[in-house]
Amino acid sequence: MDRREIENLIARVALKDRAAFDVLYDQVSAKLFGVCLRVLSKRAAAEDAMQDTFVKIWNNADRYQSNGLSPMTWLITIARNTSIDRLRARKSGHQDIDTPGLELSAPGPSPEQAAVAGSEAKRLIGCLDGLEPDRASAVRGAYLDGQSYADLAERFNVPLNTMRTWLRRGLLALRECMSQ
Amino acid sequence: MTDPQDTPPDDDSFLAAEFALGLAEGEDLANARFKLANDRQFAIKVAAWQESFAHLTDDIAPVKPPRRIKKKLLKSLFSKQRLPLLERLWVWKGISFAAFGLLAYLAIPMLRPVPPEVPMPVLAAQLKGQSGPLELLAIVEAGGTEVGLRRIAGTAPEGRVLELWAILPEQAPLSLGVLPQTEVMRIALPAVLAGKLGQVTLAITDEPVGGAPDGSPTGEIRAVGALEEI
Repeated sequence: MDRREIENLIARVALKDRAAFDVLYDQVSAKLFGVCLRVLSKRAAAEDAMQDTFVKIWNNADRYQSNGLSPMTWLITIARNTSIDRLRARKSGHQDIDTPGLELSAPGPSPEQAAVAGSEAKRLIGCLDGLEPDRASAVRGAYLDGQSYADLAERFNVPLNTMRTWLRRGLLALRECMSQ
Repeated sequence: MTDPQDTPPDDDSFLAAEFALGLAEGEDLANARFKLANDRQFAIKVAAWQESFAHLTDDIAPVKPPRRIKKKLLKSLFSKQRLPLLERLWVWKGISFAAFGLLAYLAIPMLRPVPPEVPMPVLAAQLKGQSGPLELLAIVEAGGTEVGLRRIAGTAPEGRVLELWAILPEQAPLSLGVLPQTEVMRIALPAVLAGKLGQVTLAITDEPVGGAPDGSPTGEIRAVGALEEI
C-alpha cells in the first residue's frame, strides 16, 4: 500500500468523501481486521471492533493530519486501541485508551521529525529481539494483548512496582537501541 | 517508592511509552492526557512510540473481512441520509432552536422573491467543526446561483483565511473561494453544481492568506455540513 495514496484517501474522507471511504475500506480493512482478530481472537468481537474502527475513521479523519503519524500507524493504532478497549471492557473500572486523532493532542512532529521517527520505528522488531526475552514479551503482551501492569505482574509473578521498573528499563533500552 | 537508581532521567519518554501501550493508569493517565494536549514535545514522543509499536503488527497477516461487514458499516453510517425528506427531520434535531430562528431570519431577506406559483425548494446546511468553535449556516435555493452564509461563531486562526469548498460524491473538493470576514456572506456557485446541490457537502478549511495555493485544500477542516432540503 502506497503511503501517499492512503494519506490522500484519509484527506478525502476528512472532507466526507464517501467514495474515498469506500476505497480506503477496500485497501486497509484486511490488515485492520487481522489486527482486530489478533487482539480479540473471537471473530464476532473482531468484526464489531473493526466496524467501530471504521466509524471512528470516518468521524475523525479530519484530525489525522495534525498528529504526525504515518497513515497506516494511525489506522492500525485506532484498530488496536478499539480492540483492546473491547477486550478490557469486561473488567470493571476500565478507562478507554485514547486513540490518536480522537483525543486532544498538541501539534505532532514536523514532517522531518516524523521521517526520523519513522526510520527509527522500523528498528523496533530488531531491537525488541535484543532485549531480555521476558521484557520483550511484556511489551508485546501490553500492546497486542492489552495486558495491564497488574496482568503482567501476575504473569511474571513479580510485585507490581518491580514490573514497572522492569518494563521501564526495557523501554529505555529499546529507545536507545532504536536511536542508534 | 523506587530506588533513585531505578528512576531514569527521562520520565517523560517513559510516560509517553506507557501511554502509547495503554499501561498508564489513574493519575499517570490523567497527567499523560494533559501533557498530550498541551506539550508539543510530549505529543511528539507519544507519536514516536506509537509509530514504533505499530510495527508489532507487521507480521500479522491481513484477513479479508466478510462482505457483510462493509454493507453493515456503510448502512450504519450513511443510510440515514437516503431517507425521504420528512423522515430526515432528525437531521435538524441537532440544530438548536436559536439556530433555527437565525435560519428563518436569514432565509427570508436573502432569497430573491420567488413567484408563488413555482415554489423553489430551499437547501440549508449547518457547518460545524468537531474540534473548533467555527459554526456557520448556509442556505441556497435549488437552482440558485449563490449560497448565503451566516457566521454564528468562530473566526479564522491568526494569519490564516477560511476557504469554502463544495464536495460532490466521488469528486475532488471544488473551491468556492475565500470567505470574507463579515457576518453574512454571499458566495457565487459555479455552474457545475447546478442541479446537484442536494448532493453537495460544504466544508471550510483554513488556508494561507490568498487561499489554497494549488486549488486543493491544504489546511485543517474547520467546519463541515451537507446541504439538505428544508
